[in-house]
Amino acid sequence: MVESTAKLKIEDLKISYGDKQVVHGISFEIPRNEIFGVIGPAQSGKTSMLKVINRTIDFTANAHVSGNVKIDGEDVFKVKDVYGYRRRIGMVAPLPVGLPLTIYDNVAFAPRSFGLTDKDQLDALVQRCLEQAALWDEVKDRLGSLGTKLSGGQQQRLTIARALSHQPEVLCLDEFSIAIDPVTTMKIEDVLKELSSEMTIILVTNLVQQARRLAKNTMFLLNGELIEEGATDHIFSGKASNPKTNEFVSGAFG
Amino acid sequence: MSENEINSKRFTKTSLVLKKEFNEKLAKGIFFSMTLAMIVPLLLIVSFLIYKAWPSLSFSFIFDMPKNGMKEGGIWPAFLGTLYLVIISLIIAAPVGVMAAIYLNEYAKDNWLTRTINLAVINLAGVPSIVHALFGLGAFVLFAGMGTSVIAASLTLAVMTLPVIIASTKEALSAVPMTFRQASWNMGVSRWQTIQRIVLPNSISGILTGIILQVSRAAGETAPIMFTGAVVFVPIAGDEVLAYGLMDKCMALAMHLYTISTQIPNVPESLQFAIAVALLGVVLLVNALSIGLRVYLRTHRKW
Repeated sequence: MVESTAKLKIEDLKISYGDKQVVHGISFEIPRNEIFGVIGPAQSGKTSMLKVINRTIDFTANAHVSGNVKIDGEDVFKVKDVYGYRRRIGMVAPLPVGLPLTIYDNVAFAPRSFGLTDKDQLDALVQRCLEQAALWDEVKDRLGSLGTKLSGGQQQRLTIARALSHQPEVLCLDEFSIAIDPVTTMKIEDVLKELSSEMTIILVTNLVQQARRLAKNTMFLLNGELIEEGATDHIFSGKASNPKTNEFVSGAFG
Repeated sequence: MSENEINSKRFTKTSLVLKKEFNEKLAKGIFFSMTLAMIVPLLLIVSFLIYKAWPSLSFSFIFDMPKNGMKEGGIWPAFLGTLYLVIISLIIAAPVGVMAAIYLNEYAKDNWLTRTINLAVINLAGVPSIVHALFGLGAFVLFAGMGTSVIAASLTLAVMTLPVIIASTKEALSAVPMTFRQASWNMGVSRWQTIQRIVLPNSISGILTGIILQVSRAAGETAPIMFTGAVVFVPIAGDEVLAYGLMDKCMALAMHLYTISTQIPNVPESLQFAIAVALLGVVLLVNALSIGLRVYLRTHRKW
């Protein structure tokens, strides 16, 4: 992998909460404009890693982070405008969150919060994000109804639309499909394939087959250690370098 | 047992089911009777008060001045005094309490200082009102040199209601799911913007309910105002709404009831009860307002 194609470069990342270390010095690179899969059982540090990447770990009082995280060569812990930085990272949480606002306001929330007030621009942005999240056709006639009243799968797509509303360069998905049905999951997976041509996508998933379907490269984390990272085909070939990887992807544990 | 017998008994109640049903009915019955036992005294008190107060009750009773050494006439100065005390104390306590609660719930990190403050708030809410009265006497009346005045009494009431307002506001704020805040932070929205657009709009009814319930407490307390601002009698002009100045002494309903009942001989009995009804009426009216808000809150939940 050539250095210049890496979107995110992470070196010796260590994360601990209080006395408990959850990530033990992992280093990897996330290539630009493709889907990067992160697999691993619970408690392997996947979510903590995402929180570092969008710096919402700042909100966790007892968290301690060391190591280097660079986006386009820039140290994310040295960015001055942290709100501006978070806008560059889209984040989708495991459980769908419809904010208690109308569908329109859900998507227009972030753009408004950093000063976009022009009605036409907002309209266009809301429509584009909802279209990208494959939700527009279902909600275009009721943009004024509450986002919290949508079904779980629709709310998750609303969450994705919201993450796209601030035009991120990196989209992080944290086990996005655990609370939604398979049909919606497939719909969203198609959306992600489309999006990967214009943004870097980090797909954290506990469904190993999802990573296999979507990701070009995949990383396997276990108990905060990086076990193996490489081309998805290789990881899932059953001939991965580390026997634990083979066991995990074949469903022996996790 | 033949197969037919088993089939015929499949849906009959066994002794275990009967026992379960009996216990279920028993439990429900006990809880219901306790609910009744709670409501009956309230109804009795209210009806007894109104029955006793009937000869003196009238619309003009509230708006008339006391006459003949307070043995006749109305309660206007006391009614107005209570309004003054409650409104001024809330103007002081509500913003301070709500803002402190926002800090504690939304910004404060979980460290020893925050935990100490939270503990202090909970304990302050349980301090007896007579202790607040003495504090008010020392701090506002004597030390700050306000004398016995509307402002000193209002401040004392404010200090008394503050911890409860903080506690109820925190409760309302923490009822807004954490995931809403995280979703908002994830999009680069600041904490304050999140509080303005997400947290406050969805907790405002709960916050208001908590504040309004403090009105009834402030209106009903006698001890904190007895030493700090309320006096037995203040002659004011009957048609004036702005009758009291901040540094004036004032009358108050709770104090008036106490004086009429214990300090003045030969007061007609119905007058005392009428004052009690007026005081109760103010409190119940305010509570009804907060119940209305609660209903509104329930029907307008956004998640």
